Amino acid sequence: MRRTLPSLSVALLSTVLLAACGGGGGGEDAASQTPKQGGTLVYATGDDEPTCLDPQSRGNVPQALLGSQYLESLFYQDEKGEILPWLATAWKVADDGLSWTVDLREDVRFSDGTPFDAAAVKVNIERVLDPATQSTTGRLALSKVAKVEATGEFTVRIDLRQPDGALLESLSQVWLPMESPTALKRSLEENCAAPVGTGPFKIESWTKQDNVTLVRNESYSTPPPGASHSGPAYLDKIVWRFVQDGTSRFAALQSGQVNVVDVLEPQNAVAAANVPTLKTLIQARPGEPVEIKLNIGRAPFDDAKVREAFFSSIDVAGALSSVYLGTVEQAKSPLSSATRYRADTVKHAYDPDAAAKLLDEAGWTAKDANGFRTKDGKTLTVTLPYANAIPLEPGFYEQVQATAKKVGFDVKLEPLETAKWWVKNYNWDYDAIPIYYTKNSADVLRITSTAAANAEDTPGGYHANNVRLKSAELDAILEKAGESSDDAERADLYRQAQQFLSDGHYVLPIYDQQTRLGYQSKVRGLRLLPSLSMPYFYDTWIDD
Amino acid sequence: MGRVLARVLGVVFVLWAVVTLTWFGAYAIPGEPAEAVLGGSGSKATAEQLAQIRAEYGFDRPLLTQYADMLGGLLHGDLGASYALKTPVTEIIGQTLAGTLVLAALSLAVAWAVAVLVALGSTRDSRLGTALGSLLEVTAVAVPHFWLGSVLILVFSVGLGWLPPISAPGAAGLVLPVLSLALPLAGFLGQVMRESFLAALDAPFTLSARARGETETRVRLVHALRHAALPAISLSGWAFGSLVSGAVVVETLFSRPGLGRTLLSGVLDGDIPVIVGVVLVIAVVYILVTFATEAADRIADPRLKAASRPSEAAAW
Repeated sequence: MRRTLPSLSVALLSTVLLAACGGGGGGEDAASQTPKQGGTLVYATGDDEPTCLDPQSRGNVPQALLGSQYLESLFYQDEKGEILPWLATAWKVADDGLSWTVDLREDVRFSDGTPFDAAAVKVNIERVLDPATQSTTGRLALSKVAKVEATGEFTVRIDLRQPDGALLESLSQVWLPMESPTALKRSLEENCAAPVGTGPFKIESWTKQDNVTLVRNESYSTPPPGASHSGPAYLDKIVWRFVQDGTSRFAALQSGQVNVVDVLEPQNAVAAANVPTLKTLIQARPGEPVEIKLNIGRAPFDDAKVREAFFSSIDVAGALSSVYLGTVEQAKSPLSSATRYRADTVKHAYDPDAAAKLLDEAGWTAKDANGFRTKDGKTLTVTLPYANAIPLEPGFYEQVQATAKKVGFDVKLEPLETAKWWVKNYNWDYDAIPIYYTKNSADVLRITSTAAANAEDTPGGYHANNVRLKSAELDAILEKAGESSDDAERADLYRQAQQFLSDGHYVLPIYDQQTRLGYQSKVRGLRLLPSLSMPYFYDTWIDD
Repeated sequence: MGRVLARVLGVVFVLWAVVTLTWFGAYAIPGEPAEAVLGGSGSKATAEQLAQIRAEYGFDRPLLTQYADMLGGLLHGDLGASYALKTPVTEIIGQTLAGTLVLAALSLAVAWAVAVLVALGSTRDSRLGTALGSLLEVTAVAVPHFWLGSVLILVFSVGLGWLPPISAPGAAGLVLPVLSLALPLAGFLGQVMRESFLAALDAPFTLSARARGETETRVRLVHALRHAALPAISLSGWAFGSLVSGAVVVETLFSRPGLGRTLLSGVLDGDIPVIVGVVLVIAVVYILVTFATEAADRIADPRLKAASRPSEAAAW
């Protein structure tokens, strides 16, 4: 919806109005820097309203955005991707890599008063693994976990089926939060409506389709590393509103009805830069960037030369600058810039001549009346289905289509509603497909690119391997990397994996998926939790 | 008595048809119900999880069995539970119905008020006035809700700062959504009313009223308006339906809780009980409004009253 409603005329009108309003003074420097206690912050999200406020159940970005305010994890992952203590204080992996011993903080209570201890950790991890919880993201991340034992009041041992170098990264995601065992005794539905954690805020109410209201957790005692104060949060309340339409969301920010918006659209990011009372905070999310993946399971992309020709025929930089107005940068790696072990292995350049030469070499030498290349009487056709679920604008695809046409590719764009798009995706019914994957670990490559990720035993079902790649060489690299807990070894193996994906021309990274916030400059101390780049309001205060 | 029975049977048939068409239509939406339970399309659910949900919810049973189950539930007043939210559909509709009804009713009232003013002010004396009036009406009719809404937001919220762009407590938050829905409808009703209003001003009964020395205001307000209102009243039932469908767009744009957004998210999530429940409720509202406009028609037009009672008509 948010991509279909705002018309071009509205965007233009908004720019004109902004230009008319702009130019006022008002420096932020004059304001005091002593945080003020109290106040209500209104946040308008353009992401979907979660169907469940507990990210253990299901597990998507809307849940992570909201859940980061009232739930916390065992570990904290910093900007460099390093693991630091949070609810856990220390950890140790056994020599065989098959079990982790984790020590816990001993002075923490959930916001309902229930003590946080080893038994609570056991309950939480077992709950995510229990199919009845309907966890998707969290359960997938814990797929190597065999069992959890409380070996002391504040010590747990996590036993694994295989070594898992990404375990701590998984456990620092908000999709695997620690929740009150007392609260978890309620039904799934009740817990969905008001999960209880250790975070700086707690849920007061949920008015469907309108807002979730959070209030300060007065007994808060677990600020994460990097927090600028201790004790309870500054804000009294956060009203988390669901405002799907991008035009009205930004209008609400401009008119002061809300203090912070997310999913800030490119033209609004540009507009905000000219308004002294507004600021933006745009940060990459970890995992795989928004990229175009090619289906090598069928012609024409079963031929590496044709894949390389297709990528060379796309003017990614040109399309990004015209559609995104310079607010995003072209990605250079199969991992987003916010992911540890990313390596800039993609050397993409728009080069129609090289593309034409590659097509000649691949035997696509003839041309039909429309200028499209042909081989044995067949036209060089590329079907590319897309949907709003992937954050790329229709204008971007149209430019891909236009530049590829010059070389002789007949790109058939298929704009689809999300559900239909997933059905095409499940059935591998495409030649090229846009996709991304949010995860705070380079292990995401194992999920999306190994032969096992094809899941061919379930035709029509979800599979993360959109390329249909089955390479024993890559599988070996990624399995080894996934089992390693050695920093240098992991870095080297993941670099090899990224090199492999780049050299084979399987994926074309476009830009990093992002958290895009616009906010009033009177909102101070706004930061993002680095693990998934989720906004975090513990240190936030309003400078009225 | 027979007429009442026929009416009731007609209503039951319409509701059954609506439910049946919607249910099978919803099933035809790509994606499968088990996925809606696990977080919607692209949920990354495993095959094993999907199989478990299919068994738990009975999605693996024959389609007709599931259909019969759903109908049986409806007969007991049970609309089922939302796949996505897991809460009863009646509860979800209960939370959002009032918002949409208030929005639609206010929009209808405002549209009527504007249309009546346009009709009363219209005259054959000024060609320019008439041309201008119909130009405005045609423009209003042709304007899409979301475009009008976006322009209203940019002018009154961002530009002038008078009204909130997204829903807020109290009357202020209702002004822009109501205007976005009401203005196109007002253009439509105004067109219809102005035509018959002008026809009524030329009619013999107007001439005789004027001959009796009645004032122009009285002629317009009492005699002509009553005639002019008739076709507009008949159209109001349809108009109310169009307002509810317009609510899908306006509720999304202004971020107001309501049936329209419930229906939209139901369709996007493949949440069949929600889709069927909302469509059923809209059908019931539509039927009630149609009855109400028929009653209003009779009050405004005594000829209908007479026609509906044949014996009296014969005596008269």
